[in-house]
Amino acid sequence: MIEALGSPFMQKAFVAGILVSILTGVISAFIVLRKMSFIGAGISHAAFGGVAIGFFAGANPLLTAVLYSVAVAIGIDFTVRKGKISEDVSIGIFYSLSMAIGIALLSLSQTYNVDLFGYLFGNILAITPEEIVLTLAVSVAVSGFIVAFLKELFLITYNEELARVSGIRVDLLNIVFLAALSVTIVVSIRIVGVIMVSALLVIPGATARLFARGLRSMIAISCAAGLASVIIGLVVSYEYDMAPGAGIVLTAATLFFIPLLLKRRS
Amino acid sequence: MSIAVEIDSLTVKIKNKDVLKNVSFTLEEGLFLGIVGPNAGGKTTLVRTILGLARPSSGSVRVFGKSPEGHLVRGGAFGYLPQHQNIDPGFPASVIDIVLMGRYNAVGFFRWPGKKDTDKALRSLAVMGVEDLKDAQYTHLSGGQQQRVSIARALAGDPRVLILDEPSTGIDVVGQEDFYHLLKGLQKKMNLTILMVSHDIGTVTTYVDEIACLNINLYYHGNPLGALNEKVLTSLYGKNVDLLLHTDVCEKCERLR
Repeated sequence: MIEALGSPFMQKAFVAGILVSILTGVISAFIVLRKMSFIGAGISHAAFGGVAIGFFAGANPLLTAVLYSVAVAIGIDFTVRKGKISEDVSIGIFYSLSMAIGIALLSLSQTYNVDLFGYLFGNILAITPEEIVLTLAVSVAVSGFIVAFLKELFLITYNEELARVSGIRVDLLNIVFLAALSVTIVVSIRIVGVIMVSALLVIPGATARLFARGLRSMIAISCAAGLASVIIGLVVSYEYDMAPGAGIVLTAATLFFIPLLLKRRS
Repeated sequence: MSIAVEIDSLTVKIKNKDVLKNVSFTLEEGLFLGIVGPNAGGKTTLVRTILGLARPSSGSVRVFGKSPEGHLVRGGAFGYLPQHQNIDPGFPASVIDIVLMGRYNAVGFFRWPGKKDTDKALRSLAVMGVEDLKDAQYTHLSGGQQQRVSIARALAGDPRVLILDEPSTGIDVVGQEDFYHLLKGLQKKMNLTILMVSHDIGTVTTYVDEIACLNINLYYHGNPLGALNEKVLTSLYGKNVDLLLHTDVCEKCERLR
């Protein structure tokens, strides 16, 4: 393992993994408290459509995925309001629609692209320096947003109507939060893939919820759980020659279930 | 005395059905108004319209001469206790965290509450008689304790109007009387205007200055004792209303002697 750290691809994997684990750790606390895990899964599958648009148009797939995911996040919200339907139905529609767009575009372009599997299941070992820079930029921007509006987001999470009465622009902050969620998902896709990214959005926050007594401690525990999952997951997958994304998600789930089962009934 | 709330021919439709129809009344600053009426009578919609959370289909609402939307932009005019809180049982907040939420408007953007805000929050908890709970987890409290903490939160922001939607839920009957007594004291001490929604017309009339009887239309607004007649109550709740008056001397007991 020590000699593996000497190789540049493992170093990049660790740097990218650490950045993403902290980023998703912060977001995950809110996803769990606001019961948004389905929208996380929905947007991450939608990102697949965005990646396919990039391949089809010959543009950078991560860039098109970011734009497309933000559009889907806003589209989900718009459909709920306009159609007066519940959010899970709206997510269900965009989720499958985006997958269909992705598959349609890929079959139209008739180029078998190996890299596609990297987006579906993650390929942390093939991450490029540019992607690390992008991940760093997203981490700084999203964490900055959350820190700056922490108390407003806390009040919205507690009760949206109280937040409105308190003078907070709830709709605007919700849209910015969805955009932050979308860019977080897209940069995380390179690490664990479209299929498993929702694990990083849900499990660290769920683990933190078992212990936390305040919002700040919940965010800190969530980040720590995410960080431990990525580091242990990478080491285990290197030792056993396993897909890193799967190793990370299996570790995250283990870190959730062990304290859950050991926890005394209160 | 200035006018706190002025409602003129207010109609609110939800899904093309009248929830409130042609409601008009004014409430002076510093008074305690009880809003009573049957379920689905529009009580919650009325307070949500005053708060700017629901929009009038026609008519107008003014609060201290300004539109409710104008108050929403600035925030801080209202202390609000919603009817249902639907709080996640694992919500990670201590009692003091919850009460400090009431200070967020006064604190402003990009800042975190400081010592002054904490002191204010502790005083609000003391007013509600629950300062010893400050470090407890909010979700571990009983319904009645949560209610008191929530009102402390609503008071912590120094609101001009306190709006309580069914605050006595989760408080037992003896506790309710103490609770109304406490509100009455707050009203006088802080020159608060209080609007309280309740389905319990009996006890409320003892404590409020004015009462509004609402069942889509406004059936009565004025002195609480005036509402206690069969004509008002029958139009409000329908037939088969039995009026029991609680006086210091129980007539039935006197007769039995």
